[in-house]
Amino acid sequence: MPWYLYLACKQLFPSGRFPFFTAISVLGVTLGVAVLIIVSSVMGGFGYEIRKMIVETEGEIDVKAQSSLRDPAAVLAQVNAAPGVAAATPYAKGVVAAMAGGRPAYPIFRGIEVATVEAVANLGRFVNPRTAITDLDDDSVIMSSQLANSLGVRVGDKIEIYSPLLIEKLKNDEVFLPREFRVVGDLYIGHQQLDSSTIYGTLRAAQELYGLGRSVHGIYVRVKPGVNEHAVVAQLNATLPASVRAVSWMESWADFLWVLQLEKSINFFLLLFIVIIAAFSVMSSLLISVVRKTREIGLLGALGARPCDVALCFCAQAFIIGVAGTAIGVGLGFGVLAIRNDLVHGIARLMQREDTLRQFYQFSDLPAHTLMSDLVLTVVAAIFVSTLAGLLPAWRAARLKPVEALRSE
Amino acid sequence: MSNASPLISNGPVALEASGIRKSYLSGDRRIEVLRGVDVAIRAGESVSIRGESGSGKSTLLNLLAGLDAPDAGALAWAGEPAHAKRRALFLGMVFQSFYLIPEIDALANVLMAARMVRAPGVAERARAKELIARVGLAERATHLPAQLSGGERQRVAVARALMNSPKLLLADEPTGNLDEHTGDAVIELLLSLCRETQTALVLVTHNAVYAQKTNRQLFLREGMLSHG
Repeated sequence: MPWYLYLACKQLFPSGRFPFFTAISVLGVTLGVAVLIIVSSVMGGFGYEIRKMIVETEGEIDVKAQSSLRDPAAVLAQVNAAPGVAAATPYAKGVVAAMAGGRPAYPIFRGIEVATVEAVANLGRFVNPRTAITDLDDDSVIMSSQLANSLGVRVGDKIEIYSPLLIEKLKNDEVFLPREFRVVGDLYIGHQQLDSSTIYGTLRAAQELYGLGRSVHGIYVRVKPGVNEHAVVAQLNATLPASVRAVSWMESWADFLWVLQLEKSINFFLLLFIVIIAAFSVMSSLLISVVRKTREIGLLGALGARPCDVALCFCAQAFIIGVAGTAIGVGLGFGVLAIRNDLVHGIARLMQREDTLRQFYQFSDLPAHTLMSDLVLTVVAAIFVSTLAGLLPAWRAARLKPVEALRSE
Repeated sequence: MSNASPLISNGPVALEASGIRKSYLSGDRRIEVLRGVDVAIRAGESVSIRGESGSGKSTLLNLLAGLDAPDAGALAWAGEPAHAKRRALFLGMVFQSFYLIPEIDALANVLMAARMVRAPGVAERARAKELIARVGLAERATHLPAQLSGGERQRVAVARALMNSPKLLLADEPTGNLDEHTGDAVIELLLSLCRETQTALVLVTHNAVYAQKTNRQLFLREGMLSHG
């Protein structure tokens, strides 16, 4: 090991005593890295959960026309024949008014084809009882759990649903009666927006509510495992009629995903300042070290050390602090992420705000998903900034003349 | 009063300085500290330099060590121009204030001189242990400098100075911070080790008794070296 690395290690971790200055410097970097990892993982978790929720309830691709698909059977056949497509199911959806016990709600009614929907969306995972999907008929619905609670509806109860066609009928002085549906199951996805405002019914029921006839609003598509959805989208758009367009879930939610990415980037940039402040702490403790060890630096020169090696000794100290702080910070960050839900629910319980948490956070649990690219960026940025902090002390140490350094008081 | 002092030893010339001049600016006044110093020292020879405080002894020693550059004059180590790159192997230094690295133990401090040249191997470690034993600190090799007395620290510094088997040892007031008894022991150690290893020794001291123990006694006065 070169002497400057050996001495850097010994000065940071001297034998026989607690390395107080080193511990403070490492702690600063540790906290910065841990916060960066926690925040980027939680932000990534929101994006990941939303992706999972979309893909698991709507598939990876949405094939739709400007208004509606008038000949869904033909388009469905074309979609199913496309390479890379595992399954496809038609849908119709729109806002309705739901009434139960005199209480109103305005959820989205999602009409699904019972025979094919399970091949595209894993709805069965979220539905209670699980058989509710196959039990679904044109007179029954599955209600999202929070919506059912807000309307005071239980499985077996009946609800009335008014479609927007009511307005058209009223304009023509026609009498329009609401459709009555029996609730055969409830749905809990874990996303506040979906859990508070979704009703699943059959495709035929949705077509009837919206006066679609045989038309549908679109077709959800599931691609085969390992197949790139964007390639399938390009393939479909090349073969489908011009009035029909396939879009990936990322395109459909592009604005939302961009906002999420922007939030994540801004958070990363802002939180990086914690590491930068920690780097200033590293710099100041190394500058103090240069002053405290001026005569030792002079001795090193007398022993034959070159100025560049003296500089490397201090740069190495900053690098070691950066590496140690980052390593501990990564561990601390993942440790906190592992107990994040206990922490969040514990705090919410203490403040008796668990329902508020669920309502505003969208998810019942705090999501977290760490991308390898985020982790690498955090680690590299933290070590780089910490090492930069060593440059000024290193420069000052290298500039000391041995004769003057040895004479210093 | 130029000095071409007689050479006691018959060995090769370890150090040769000629016409060394050095001045400093003090405010707007230039002070000439050294006014043409000539000195030659052979391997195995010990030379003492005495002088009043502020006469330029330490300045001369730093110049001889190549730690500072003279305004004029030439310096040669073993017949070749002095250069900082050769310092680690050619010479060792002992200071009044020991200058041990506080974070590492006595043995590691000795080994530090070897680290400046290359990563120490088995041979270097064995030599460091041998030197520590030679200065009488075998039992205290793993002690930190803070756990050693002043005399022990200076002995560690002497061992460190000899670690790379230098041709020249420069000692700047090595007993300045020691009591008389310990100082005597350190001087005896320096002289005997230099004799054994045929290392040239330049001893800067205020103490006439220690100076008398060297082969040649020089006196620095008005920027020139003369016989004491």
